[in-house]
Amino acid sequence: MPIGQPDPSLPIIQFKDVRKSFGDSPVIQGVELSVKRGEVVVICGPSGSGKSTLIRLVNRLESLTNGDILIEGESTAGLKGAALRKLRSDIGFVFQQFNLYAHLTAHENITLALDKVLGLPKAEADGRANDLLARVGLADKGQHYPAQLSGGQQQRVAIARTLAMQPKILLFDEPTSALDPEMIGEVLAVIRQLAESGITMLVVTHEMGFAREVADRVVFIDQGQIIEDAPPAQFFGATRHPRAQRFLEQLLSPLHGAGA
Amino acid sequence: MLFDPNVILNNLDYLLWGRLAQGEPGGLLLTVLISLVAGVASLALGIPMGLLAWSKPGLIRAALFWWADLIRGIPLIFVIFWVYFLVPALLGGSMPSALSVTLALAWFTSAAVMHSTFAGLEALPKGQGEAAIASGMSQWQTLRWVLLPQALRNLVPSFVSLFASLIKDTSLAFILNVPELTMVASQVNNRTQLYPSEIFLFTGALYFVLCSGLSWAGQRLGRSATEGSS
Amino acid sequence: MTFDWTGVLSGAPLIWLQTGVVTTLAITLAASLLASLLTLVLLALRLSERKLARALASSVTELFRNTPLLVQILFWYFGAYNLLPRDWRDWINNDHPWATLPGNVPLLTPEFLASAWGLGMFSAVFIAEEIRAGLQAVPSGQREAAISQGFAPWQVLRFVLLPQALANAYQPVVGQYLNLMKLSSLATAIGLAEITYQVRQIESYNSHALEAFAVGTLLYLAIGLIMGRALLHFDPKRRRIKKLLHAAPVISEAADAV
Repeated sequence: MPIGQPDPSLPIIQFKDVRKSFGDSPVIQGVELSVKRGEVVVICGPSGSGKSTLIRLVNRLESLTNGDILIEGESTAGLKGAALRKLRSDIGFVFQQFNLYAHLTAHENITLALDKVLGLPKAEADGRANDLLARVGLADKGQHYPAQLSGGQQQRVAIARTLAMQPKILLFDEPTSALDPEMIGEVLAVIRQLAESGITMLVVTHEMGFAREVADRVVFIDQGQIIEDAPPAQFFGATRHPRAQRFLEQLLSPLHGAGA
Repeated sequence: MLFDPNVILNNLDYLLWGRLAQGEPGGLLLTVLISLVAGVASLALGIPMGLLAWSKPGLIRAALFWWADLIRGIPLIFVIFWVYFLVPALLGGSMPSALSVTLALAWFTSAAVMHSTFAGLEALPKGQGEAAIASGMSQWQTLRWVLLPQALRNLVPSFVSLFASLIKDTSLAFILNVPELTMVASQVNNRTQLYPSEIFLFTGALYFVLCSGLSWAGQRLGRSATEGSS
Repeated sequence: MTFDWTGVLSGAPLIWLQTGVVTTLAITLAASLLASLLTLVLLALRLSERKLARALASSVTELFRNTPLLVQILFWYFGAYNLLPRDWRDWINNDHPWATLPGNVPLLTPEFLASAWGLGMFSAVFIAEEIRAGLQAVPSGQREAAISQGFAPWQVLRFVLLPQALANAYQPVVGQYLNLMKLSSLATAIGLAEITYQVRQIESYNSHALEAFAVGTLLYLAIGLIMGRALLHFDPKRRRIKKLLHAAPVISEAADAV
């Protein structure tokens, strides 16, 4: 058991030969990946490549079939009960479908876990909620229910909800894929601000413009394996692997990509 | 106190098919007969009502729903009473009790069939109707060839479940002394006096086999119906 | 066809009807309370982590759903009641003025107890199923979001899933309680002197069948209306029925516009 501060030079997340199968179908096939504290890693790949599953393994929405994921040097594969819940409360997860608690207001969405999981006193929880709603540009929407908010607004509340727990790691599962195009910008702006604040982030996304400007690294995954892992300049400029090249072509100019 | 199965065995034929030898079907047989006739009648009545309610919003739909809610708003026993007393009073002459019960059950169940049919049509994707209209089909053609077939396929589990309820509702025929299964079991109990638990547990078991068997079949049918269409 | 309402609404018949109404209301209340308690038990079993508990809940549900309520009541009254200890039955058969409602409606009788128990158990199964359906209708993302935040399983149920499930299930559950009230009419089979019993008594007393049935029908409709309104007042969703009545189907508008 570590005593005192975790070593800042150690990776905060380490995937060690991670494998995941659903029944007989293997989805993640031996992934090795290290993420340093404060890094912003964008994960992309074709559909079915396993990219969502990969980050869902980090907070154990899915469980590993084999291998281990170390968080701050500690093994997490065998965690159960209270220890697992503690891990989850230290990791923020933003869903493609927002998943705001439909029966609670935006404000209550943020304070529920602060109250029931962290046990914060009401005044402190309310304070955090108000600050975060303001931070994501929704200070006046605290009393609105999710059904009364647009997709972009809901996602911003969802991000505020995760930030309220003051997590060490933020995971984003295609945060803008369910949004109408005119709302993507407002959400990406918030995510960009977070990236610049120094928090460790894993972002699964198709938004290559975002990746190019914000990511420290871009990871390309296909059929459950990491094919390419490089800083944006190299990933977009001098891709090494043919599959990654093809994926980029298809993504950036769909008419000319496939079969061209 | 141990259970004595003899009372069941001694009365088994009476429980299963009543006085069939004397031309008076009863017991389980009568239950099934009433259920089948009432079931078919309720579909014949309820599906068109549901169709009508779905395609004519506003006053007609409101009236149909109001009518259905009225029927369902009173106990089934009263519906049986009304059919038994009212129909002969209006048409003159008398009506055999079993027929009264069958008609009442059909009427009562048709309200549920109407609701289900309506819901089934509502649940279809709007695009289905729109595609048909866009290719020039009339309202009636769209219903007949595109919407109703799909809705009915999806509704099979729901209808089977209504039919299972119908089987249970036939037990209310006791109120008119119709010798279906529950009435017959009650008679056996009155006669033998000492074995109520055995009799009613056995009766319950018969219904259970019938109804749960139907539910199971309905689920299987529902699954294969939707699998076939995708 | 002439109607003689005084034959039904005065003298002995009127008293019988009053007794009937009090009895129906009493049995509805008693069975509803019982049903609510048993629903909690059933739900606790259903949502338990233990496989045995869940299996018990689903077998009980299947059993009570696939047999007629009438057969169940007959079983409780003729069969199970006689399995109670002799002393208990003797005590119940004594007069208990403290357990008698106005209009001479005794509550501690085998008929009342068997009906309340039978109705209660039967309804509990259906109410629990409606709530279970309400739970299933909650999108799975709600549970995932809660788990991701570190909520314990019971907290996920209590703070995220059940509130939404109960809101989903409120109207169907109210429907089940209304059903309970209507099904109380079955207790006439074992001689409970509720509305249906009294109506048949009037009919055999002075043959005023149509008048008696009409009054009985109106009584049930009225009780149902009042109960329904009162209960739906607390509906967390309060959906408008008008929207349903006037939503136009795709085809009639489009076809007419051609």
